Amino acid sequence: MTTSSLEANVEPELVKQWITELGGGPSSTVPLLQAIQGKYGYLPRKAMDLIVEHTEITGRQIYGVATFYAQFRLRPVGRYMIKVCHGTACHVQGADRLNTALRHSLNIHDEAQDTAENGSYTLENVACVGCCSQAPLMVIGKEVIGNINGAGAQKALRKHARGVQEVLPKAEKQSVNS
Amino acid sequence: MNAAALEIIIGEGTCGIAAGAVEVTEAFKAEAPTAKIRAVSCAGMCHQEVLVEVNSPKGYYKYGKVTKKEVPQILGFLLKGESQLAEEFVLVAPEVPATEANGYMTQQTRIALRNVGLLDPTSLEEYEARDGYKALRKILGLTPQEVINEVKDSGIRGRGGAGFPSHMKWSFAAAQQNDTKYLICNGDEGDPGAFMDRSLLEGDPHNVIEGMLIAAYAIGATHGYAYIRAEYPLAVKNFGLAIKSATAKGYLGNNILGSSFNFEIKIKEGAGAFVCGEETALMASIEGERGMPRRRPPFPAVKGLFGKPTIINNVETLSNLPWILNNGGKAFAAYGTEDSKGTKVFALAGAIKRGGLVEVPMGTKVGDVIYGIGGGSASGRKIKGAQLGGPSGGCIPASLFDTPIEYAALQKTGAIVGSGGMIVFDDKTCMVDLAKFFLQFTQLESCGKCTFCRIGTLRMKELLTLISEGKAKLEDLDLLEELCVKIVDNSLCALGGTAPNPVLTTLRYFKEEYIAHIVDHRCPAGKCKALITHKVIQSDCTGCSLCEKACPTDAITGEPKVAHSYQIDMAKCINCSMCVEVCKPNCILVE
Repeated sequence: MTTSSLEANVEPELVKQWITELGGGPSSTVPLLQAIQGKYGYLPRKAMDLIVEHTEITGRQIYGVATFYAQFRLRPVGRYMIKVCHGTACHVQGADRLNTALRHSLNIHDEAQDTAENGSYTLENVACVGCCSQAPLMVIGKEVIGNINGAGAQKALRKHARGVQEVLPKAEKQSVNS
Repeated sequence: MNAAALEIIIGEGTCGIAAGAVEVTEAFKAEAPTAKIRAVSCAGMCHQEVLVEVNSPKGYYKYGKVTKKEVPQILGFLLKGESQLAEEFVLVAPEVPATEANGYMTQQTRIALRNVGLLDPTSLEEYEARDGYKALRKILGLTPQEVINEVKDSGIRGRGGAGFPSHMKWSFAAAQQNDTKYLICNGDEGDPGAFMDRSLLEGDPHNVIEGMLIAAYAIGATHGYAYIRAEYPLAVKNFGLAIKSATAKGYLGNNILGSSFNFEIKIKEGAGAFVCGEETALMASIEGERGMPRRRPPFPAVKGLFGKPTIINNVETLSNLPWILNNGGKAFAAYGTEDSKGTKVFALAGAIKRGGLVEVPMGTKVGDVIYGIGGGSASGRKIKGAQLGGPSGGCIPASLFDTPIEYAALQKTGAIVGSGGMIVFDDKTCMVDLAKFFLQFTQLESCGKCTFCRIGTLRMKELLTLISEGKAKLEDLDLLEELCVKIVDNSLCALGGTAPNPVLTTLRYFKEEYIAHIVDHRCPAGKCKALITHKVIQSDCTGCSLCEKACPTDAITGEPKVAHSYQIDMAKCINCSMCVEVCKPNCILVE
């Protein structure tokens, strides 16, 4: 499976429902984008077009806002999100090693990519989760996992994958015990 | 003894959950279904998570670092008189003297944090039982000017970073004649390494609401926004629940407690932009625009959100207000120093033994927080210094730990009180790498409006990268300093105005590390990948094979269970140091 097949199927009725609930004025731009991303994991072009078509929010404004804030992403995501915290405490305690380890487990070697080939997981860096005393840490789905090293991050990922029955991309490396 | 006699209190803040609080709660529910189990928020003793307190007929017990494994023994001890857990888990018990770890709490003076970790944040009744909304009742009998005077007496300055006297800001907005005024609670804690706002919003949301009511009453605002980071889902949830229960009880809405005072609060989830710490950028964000600052004047107090007079106060500032109104401004001013009144919350983290939230009177020495409350180094390695105030702050060396925590005194060192981030580092932290980390952050977060901030921070990041790779020249340090000065001088807002601080302070106190990278092509801390190599000290190798399993590039080979057999293929090694993390005999040399 390629990441392009992860494109969301946008339901216009749902977008119109959000507009009714959250309003269509300029100050609703951020909440509307948050609703879209909350549902689809990213901002599909079609959903943003619908907002522009049905509200007073302009294309300039919605695209400007979508590209300004760190929370929003324009590319599709895998079925589960992994967020690695890169706050100061996590950086000092070795957060970059979590990235190296997880990228290896997910077989993502192209720096420009952040989603595993099989569409299982997307690896994202976030500024700070605010759990600095548990550094370094990551968030899989909604679960915050703290005080881990690179090997621990891989173990937590395997555990999560088993729980949700995801297959991790086959890593190139042979296990020592096999 | 019956489990029904037990009240078990478990810390379920975000940090407690990260340490496994949900599993622990489930274990207690399974093993002692009749016990009363309460979830409270993070008490700020993050190094002891998961934290469990038990009120039992035997007395009060507090356990730290509990996992589900310890649950049967805790219950066995309390209910069946079996043996107690090992000493390291027992923080407070009637039969033992106060432990060292307990000193973490007793050395603090908690005003903003006074309820955090003690009450169930979803219970309005528990907040009311701890003098909740008493200050609201009090101010309804005072004039707005009397409220402002009380806050003036307290001497409190904005806790978000800028440190502007709160009463002064309020006076400007109070003086405006307008049918609509706004009060914004700034909970967009963008400083990576600070989490006091998260803890206050999660753990004591009614206190923040009461603080907002006091500020709104003083300036005559009828509409409030709580701007909370989207990365803090539990804070958004708990704060939302608190607004609902406070509205139902008549503390929010129209004719509050039968008075003519009207005030409502809406939550706005911040979408992630450090620059929104700047007031005008935050307002642009609420209005639905890119969060870009604008020129002042007009100041927000005169012309702010939607063109109306607006006051923006930080979560921690607001959290102090109910206490100040209940106890008097003078009682608050009794803490602290001439220059800096009251207490301040710090988020203590990094290479420290006991990290978490720490609230101390202003004027406390930096070293007393780090060594006294924090217990010094976690690893036993030498503490090199601390980073204060996040990306806008600076790094000070351990030799300056005698500096009192005061606005003026810290500014002299090049650091700032800021929002209260305090990250401690030992000799394994490279100062060039740390400066690069902060510049990467500010460069990404620069909104792009001012040229020097937009391009200057990028140039600085490039120079720091060259230094970290051993490719720079000594003259580049002069260029780096020149860029610092120009970015400060030519930026509209505080993001650019303070972005060079991490570089300026590391250049000032740790210049020898820059020189080691440039001249000797060496990273003394063993951090900068381009300048280090990994080598197995084979005489110490036990053949445990953990390094081989951890290595992502198959660079490590050897015979499992055969001592002295492992080696690293330099051609394949990417210097990620994952092997170092897992090596039990500590036999991988990084240099």
